[in-house]
Amino acid sequence: MMHIKPILAALKRHKAGTILIALQIALTLAIVCNAIFIIHQRLERVQRPTGMVETDLMAIHSAFVGMGDNQGGPLIKADLQALRQLPGVQDAVSLNSYPLRGGGWSTGVRTDVDAKDSKAHTTQYFGDDHVLSTMAVRLVAGRNFRSDEVVEADPRSVPDPSMVIVSKALADKLYPDGSALGKPIYIGDTKKPTTIIGIVERLGVPWNAMWSDDFYENSLILPVQLTSPYTSYLIRAKPGQLAEVMKAAPAALVKVNRLRVIPSERGVRTFAQIRDDAYKGDRGMAILMSVVCLVLLGVTAAGIVGLTSFWVGQRRKQIGVRRALGATKRDILSYFLTENLLIGVAGVAIGALLAIGMNLWLVTQFEMARLSLVYVLVGVVALLLLGQGAVLAPALRASRVSPVEATRSV
Amino acid sequence: MLKMTHLSKVYRTEVVETYALRDFNINVNEGEFVAVTGPSGSGKTTFLTIAGLLETFTGGQYHLDGVEVSNLNDNERSRIRNEKIGFIFQAFNLIPDLNVFDNVEVPLRYRGMKAAERKERIMNSLERVGLASRAKHYPAELSGGQQQRVAIARALAGSPRLLLADEPTGNLDTQMARGVMELLEEIHREGATIVMVTHDPELAARAQRNVHIIDGQVVDLAEDPRFHHAVHAARANSPA
Ligand SMILES: Nc1ncnc2c1ncn2[C@@H]1O[C@H](COP(=O)(O)OP(=O)(O)OP(=O)(O)O)[C@@H](O)[C@H]1O
Ligand SMILES: [Mg+2]
Repeated sequence: MMHIKPILAALKRHKAGTILIALQIALTLAIVCNAIFIIHQRLERVQRPTGMVETDLMAIHSAFVGMGDNQGGPLIKADLQALRQLPGVQDAVSLNSYPLRGGGWSTGVRTDVDAKDSKAHTTQYFGDDHVLSTMAVRLVAGRNFRSDEVVEADPRSVPDPSMVIVSKALADKLYPDGSALGKPIYIGDTKKPTTIIGIVERLGVPWNAMWSDDFYENSLILPVQLTSPYTSYLIRAKPGQLAEVMKAAPAALVKVNRLRVIPSERGVRTFAQIRDDAYKGDRGMAILMSVVCLVLLGVTAAGIVGLTSFWVGQRRKQIGVRRALGATKRDILSYFLTENLLIGVAGVAIGALLAIGMNLWLVTQFEMARLSLVYVLVGVVALLLLGQGAVLAPALRASRVSPVEATRSV
Repeated sequence: MLKMTHLSKVYRTEVVETYALRDFNINVNEGEFVAVTGPSGSGKTTFLTIAGLLETFTGGQYHLDGVEVSNLNDNERSRIRNEKIGFIFQAFNLIPDLNVFDNVEVPLRYRGMKAAERKERIMNSLERVGLASRAKHYPAELSGGQQQRVAIARALAGSPRLLLADEPTGNLDTQMARGVMELLEEIHREGATIVMVTHDPELAARAQRNVHIIDGQVVDLAEDPRFHHAVHAARANSPA
């Protein structure tokens, strides 16, 4: 049974400790709620799919040396031929960029030739008819390019291609009624239409920073083989053969042509490494925030244990008196649990307001998302439980104080 | 009401065993007012804590209200303390964090009594001890005598049939002690059984019966040679 009124009355006589713990709970709740919200957001980003099947996938960055900007065409063709012939390789493609690479091309797209403003922002991937099979993205409508539809182009002046494959997110943005297939789009500021011939289920952009979140799944694949001497090869190994291909592929490229640079750092990476590297910052932030949360929760729990232990020691005599007057062990236990709950409720009430206030400040200062109240609610429950857990050991000790303690002189 | 036979209480520490009570026999009838006297360390408080179910004993039997106490579990003991027994301690033992009203309320809350009845009982018992006007005061704001009267009010509020008092006047001056004693006598007249430990022979003389404890045993004063020695010595020293 709860005896709230006399417990509150007694707490009024111990204001300093009570306020200190309540404020500590409040601050912890405010910080932990926001931190967990941020952690959750980061983790969601880290796990965001690219739309590709990422197992058995790797990338090589290669730059031919001593050659002009548009002279890479035949060399790339030879490279691709060598890569695709490797026994462990399923398929390979040369691209200007790929998801999570970190750098790439972006542009605006219109559906109305006369429109001034673009309707959507998107990235552009230039590659041949092997892009879909190498990335293993799922075509949900239309068709792939045929090899005879692929054109070579100088990266400094890419002609407007006649056809394009778009990601579903972009298709839906451009043609919300779902009729994108076969429709024209205008890339950049051109007047020449490009026809949508295929739609893939999902394909992420090369960037993973916050600013790209708005168009993270807006991608174009264009049937253009760039002739730049700088290129990225995306290579899909046959199932289970990635390790061998990781060795064989760079060796094969060097064998085809020695006049190239493959950077020792990040020149050859599995896609798992690429994902790891791309989200290093997000993961680091999440870990840091987690540590901060754990430390805060630990300190708060320790504070509660400490204060309650102190109070139990201080009140041994009155616990004995209460026992003498008829309190059961359970009554004493519930006294301290209730006392902690009352302090906790005051703490989380202030803390919930603080949490929301702190989030509003972050929203205005750092363009953070609005804190979902679910986090506050879960935080409130978690902190109350933490308090009850922390108070349990000292409260149990209190319940074991013998009633004979009442007769002992202090 | 209260019957102990061959009761013993041993305190064991690593070094020694202390027999606080040995072969202790006492019988207190319903409605009696018994004063317990004895030298310091003789076992008076020990007897009272066992009688009040504050502590267990080592051997022998104790029947309280016809119930053999050693078979009771902790919760049952708590309930009997709450419903049948009122305690008055030498050091008052009020809860310093609570005001007078809340202090008197403590045993009533543990009984699960409704608020209205609690309030009525609290005000009644505070009126009896003449402190109704101090209900909102904290113990630290009262004199020793007033604190002890609050403690008596707290013991009375639950209408216990047995009142156990351990040197209730020990910390009070003569006049305050007399007031407390009168209160106890009044409570006794209304039917409560009272066992009071005291060092004050004058107060002891006002009880119906005196029980003397020496070395953890009840001694019959008339037959104990030690008592006769003491009386002889006192007579030899007195001028008359
Ligand atoms: N918790 C304890 N541990 C060990 N020995 C104890 C304990 N409590 C009491 N004793 C011993 O038991 C004996 C009886 O003590 P008790 O307190 O009953 O005496 P008392 O008659 O009340 O004395 P006083 O008049 O001084 O209050 C003493 O020898 C005391 O030292
Ligand atoms: Mg004593």
